[in-house]
This record gives sequence, structure tokens and C-alpha cells, in this order.
Amino acid sequence: MNAWLYVHAPQLLLDTQLALQTTAQQQQPQILLDGSRVGARQVVQCNQAAAAAGIRLHMAEVTATTLLADVQLRPYQAQQEQRILAQLAQLWYQDIAHIALYPPQGLLFEVASMLRLYGGFEGLLQQLQQRLQEWPIRYVVASGDTPMRARLLAQAGCSLLSNDARTVQQAVAQLPITASGLEPLHITRLQQVGITTIGALQQRHRSALGKRFGRAMTQYLAQLSGELPTPQQYYQPPAQFHQQLDLLAEVASWAQLVFPLRRLLQQLEAFLQVRQLSVRGLLLRVTHRDGQHTEQLIGFAHPVWQLKDMLGLTQLQLERQQLPEPALELALRAQRLEPRQQQHNDLVQASAEVAAPTQPLGELVSRLQARLGERAVQLPQPQRDWRPQQAQQWQLWQATATSAGLMPQLPRPLWLLDPEQPIDPQHWQLQWGPERLASGWWDDTPCQRDYYVALDQQQRQGWIFHSQQGWFVHGWFT
Amino acid sequence: MQLQQLLQQGLVWQGQQHQPHDQQQFLDSGWAELNQHLGGGWLRGSVNELQVAQPFSGELALLVPLLRQLQRPSLWLNPPAQPYWPGLLHQHIKQPPLLVRTSCNEHAVWVLEQTMQSRQCGLLLAWLPSLPAAWVRRLQQCAEQHQQLLFVFSSWQPSDEARAYVNRLQLQRPADKPQLGFQVGIKKRRFGWPLPPFRCPVDQLLPARRRLLT
Repeated sequence: MNAWLYVHAPQLLLDTQLALQTTAQQQQPQILLDGSRVGARQVVQCNQAAAAAGIRLHMAEVTATTLLADVQLRPYQAQQEQRILAQLAQLWYQDIAHIALYPPQGLLFEVASMLRLYGGFEGLLQQLQQRLQEWPIRYVVASGDTPMRARLLAQAGCSLLSNDARTVQQAVAQLPITASGLEPLHITRLQQVGITTIGALQQRHRSALGKRFGRAMTQYLAQLSGELPTPQQYYQPPAQFHQQLDLLAEVASWAQLVFPLRRLLQQLEAFLQVRQLSVRGLLLRVTHRDGQHTEQLIGFAHPVWQLKDMLGLTQLQLERQQLPEPALELALRAQRLEPRQQQHNDLVQASAEVAAPTQPLGELVSRLQARLGERAVQLPQPQRDWRPQQAQQWQLWQATATSAGLMPQLPRPLWLLDPEQPIDPQHWQLQWGPERLASGWWDDTPCQRDYYVALDQQQRQGWIFHSQQGWFVHGWFT
Repeated sequence: MQLQQLLQQGLVWQGQQHQPHDQQQFLDSGWAELNQHLGGGWLRGSVNELQVAQPFSGELALLVPLLRQLQRPSLWLNPPAQPYWPGLLHQHIKQPPLLVRTSCNEHAVWVLEQTMQSRQCGLLLAWLPSLPAAWVRRLQQCAEQHQQLLFVFSSWQPSDEARAYVNRLQLQRPADKPQLGFQVGIKKRRFGWPLPPFRCPVDQLLPARRRLLT
């Protein structure tokens, strides 16, 4: 029984960068150079166009640029690759329970329980591949009876998937000693004594090897054979969603950011799905060349969790925005995560409505606010205040139900003019009143007015008042 | 003789014929005479134009009976003033108004279409200066498809350009003849010819006239 699966993506960073490019850009030869080691910068990752031109891994920068003058050079960033690896783990966390990160380019899966679920390695691989549909990275998968064997096979580029432990052991035994993952110094010494494969190493007496190479060697062999269990630190998805993406070229407008944003939202969808959460707001943060940031808050009037909803609403809101400067980096943070709630729709609608609603009101408001701006959609809230202006407050739409408030006993108009308009009382014919309202002495807007219902010259019924400032019309009943 | 044949073949539509309409598709307007003239009330799934000679002359009072029946919030698009919730409550209107303001007609039509598609609002009220014929047709199709009722308030339009509204009403309160009250004229209706203005007793719903205390 081979319970371990190791995924090795040797070109993880470059492949991720390529996935964000257009097809024409992908055809360009591109290499990543590592300058962290001593000596000249080395090629650590290259795309197919570069490989076709003869560029190989570990080639010096000078050689590569001589071979291919127009090759695109980028520095290799280990930290970023590690972030990408975590993203990959998060993506696959939907399918596999136990994932251990092996930075910079490896993931280890414990699949003993998963194989039954997916019906063997084929089903499992298919599932993994399906997740990667929009993220085409090249990777090698190998199975193993111990984590170390699976890892060595995958890192050596040998994608062996087998249920038989002996097949794996034989394959590992045939790997050259250079693929053993031992220290370079040890490898050289082993080669000098004629041990060229891992199998040859295992045939040696372990205590003798220990004497010569120290405890690290015995431990290595014990881990390889599984006698010493390797403790694994399994991946735990973060409780907060925060992801960022490097844009390879400067992007001048929000519209062009939609494609990379889609990638981030896809990850967010996976994140929300695993936790059965929904989100009420997104914070987009764009980094410019000079290190400055632009932040854009995107609110949803109702909880969303599906990619198409999030993307659609975000696009609508971004249509109205302008990017002040070209962007180099895009980060997405989910705000106001909420547990998902079942929506209760009545089976039998109230009599006045024929058709069943296709979506709740919150969704409609979300859409309207996304296009028109948050302030464009408002709902009144009744307040316990005698002053007419304060008796209702306009609020941004919220999911909370409006309280009905008290029904006023005295006449109140259907329309309120804000602000009130001065009138000439000569032209008005008083019908009812006065109603004296004196209130608000405790704050800055005191009110001492006599209200009347009156008809104007056009026979329209208005709500007028008299105060120290004179006569004003404040509302209409019609 | 030929006309008789055509009639028998059903090729001639006669305006006077009062066809039996399904009562279910009408919403009671609250005004008996208006109901009678409109064939039973406001047609569900229709766009109606209310041409208002002067704002606040009674056009909202005309719709108060309809607003009282609502089970869902109503949408108010670009109203000329704030709807006043205590005033609506005073008129026994239980559903809050959802106020939307847009800067241009295109957005306004978009809002109306979205709202009708969502079927979340019981009634749509829109104050729009004038709409091109193509947009009216679009709105009417949308309203019919989703069975939504929309009222478009516009200013008094003297010209007789055709529009796809189901009903076109002209509302006014003649200032020189106050005894006439609130007049509703029907410029276009679905089941009949245009009608001259008649009096609609909307003042019943307004605050009763009382003697002044002072």
C-alpha cells in the first residue's frame, strides 16, 4: 500500500507567471535567474520556448543571453514561490485532507483514506488536474510507501504511480545517488567509493555508514525505509483570506485587472467553499511602482460566495472607478466573512404577487449599488422624533428589516421637501391647524414651528409651517 | 356584406366590444370609475404613463389605494422630493419605499429592468422627463414578461407621438375651476378609445378639512 503522494512542480513560479500572460507572451522565451548562490546568476526556471532554444537549467546567465539575445530575464523570488505553493495547497485542500508543504516546490499528500474515495490514483489525479484547469503548471506526481520515497521519485522526475510498495522500492533503488537529496559533500564522497545509486547505498551496512558519515546518514536511511516515521506538519488553511498577485507588466486600468482578479476570486471561492462562509466585502489593494497603494473597498449588500456573483458585482463597481497610476501588484482581502445562511422562500407567495421572486431583494440592491454607487439606493428608517425632518432617516440599504414605526395620528404628508421652501402666506388657504411642534432644544437643530395643512393657488394640498424665520412649505400630501 | 365576412373571420377588431377579461390580471386601482374605464383596474404586467400637469397635484394620492395593497417594498426612482415614511404610514401604506437616484436616463432604464427582472418590488414608480419610443417598448416587454407594474410620471406632453404604454393618463387640477377637483383624462387605454377628463375623488384620502382653531 502506497499511502503517500508527492507533487513536485519544478517550474512553479514561472508557470504561474505564464498563466497570467497572453498566448503571444507565453511564446516568448523567458527564464528566471537565481542570484542568491555564490558566483554568477544561474538559470533556475525556463519556459518551453527558452528550452527549445537550448537554454538549460543551471546555465550561467551569460551563456543563456549569448544563446538567445532577446530572452526575458526575471529574478527568481523564493518567498513568492512559497506563497504560490501555499495557494496551491489551499486549492487542493478542497480535495485532500492532509497536505504537507515542502518548499519551495513540493507538496506531500497523505492519501491512504483518499484513494478509496476517488477510486484509486487515476481518479485522484483527475480530481487534482481538474482543480488546475485555469492554472496550467507542470508537475510530476509520484507515489511511495514512505514520504521520502515519493519525494525522491517525484523530484527525480519519475512519475511512478503504483499500489505495490516493492515497485516503488525498486524504482528508488535505481535512482542515482545525485538524486538522493543528501548533502553535496556526502554525495561526492559516496561517488568516490563507487556508490552511484541509492540502492547501492542501502545495501551497505548501516552502522558502517553511520560511522563514516555521522548520524544524519543513519537517520536518512531510516526515514527512507520508513523505520523512522517522519513527522509531517499538515497544512492548515488560514482563517483570513488575503492573497496577492504580481502583475508582470504595468496595468493602467481596472478593466485590465479583471483577469488577474478572477484568479484571486477563484481562490476566494475555494476558500469560502471549504469553510461554508460567505463574504460581504472585498478590499482590493493595488501597489504602484513607487510603492504607494490604492485601496478600493467593494461592498455587497447581500452575502455572496460564488465566483460569478463576486466577479460580476466587482466589475460593475470597478467600472465607475479610475486607477490613478499603473499597477504592479494586486492584493485581495476578504472582509466581513459570515456563515452562510439558508434562505427561506415561501412556497406559497402572498396573494398580490403572482410570480415567485427569482432572487432576494438584497441581491437586487447589491447590483444597483454596484452600478450606481452605494448612496444611490436608500431606504427610510422611522425615528422616534417629533421633528419632521428627524422623524425619518435615510439609510443605505441593509439586510435588516425596517421597523414599521408608529403610525402618526396627526396628518403627515407623503412628500417631504428638504430643505423647506419659503412661501408667501397670502397665496395659501389654511385648512387645518395649527399643530405646534417644539422640540430638539437638546441638540443643534431646535425646532419651534406651527404646522398647517393648506391649499396653494393650484389647489394643491401642502404642509406649511410658520416659524420665527417666516412661512415655509415643508411637504405635499398629494 | 364584405364587412360582415371580415367580421366573421375575426379580422376586424371592434372597440365597443367589451371583452370579458380575466379579473385576475387586474389590480384594483381603488377608484370605481377609473377601474371601469381601464377594463377592471391597472393591468398587471404593464407600463403606464401618468402625465402630470403640475407636480404634487394629486398624482400620488391616485396611487395610494394601490400602494396600500402591496406586500413588497415599492421602488421610487428619481422622485421630485423625498417620500416621507411617516406620511406613508399615515396613509396605511405598510411597505417602505426603496429610493433610487440615477444621473441619466440610461441608468434609470437599467434600474427599472433589473428591478422588474428580480420581481422583488411590488410596484415601480419612476419620474422620468421623457423616454424614447424604443425604451418604452423595452420596458413594456420586460414588465409583461415579469408581470410587474410600472408607472412613469412625466410632464404634460402635448404632442401625440405614439408610445408603447398600456395606459396614458393626463392628470391635472384646473386652478381656475377648483370645483372640478382632480381630473383624470385617458389619452390611451388598452380596451377602448381615449376618454375626456373625469373627476377622480382623490381628495377623500387627503386630510379632512376642519375648522381652523385660530
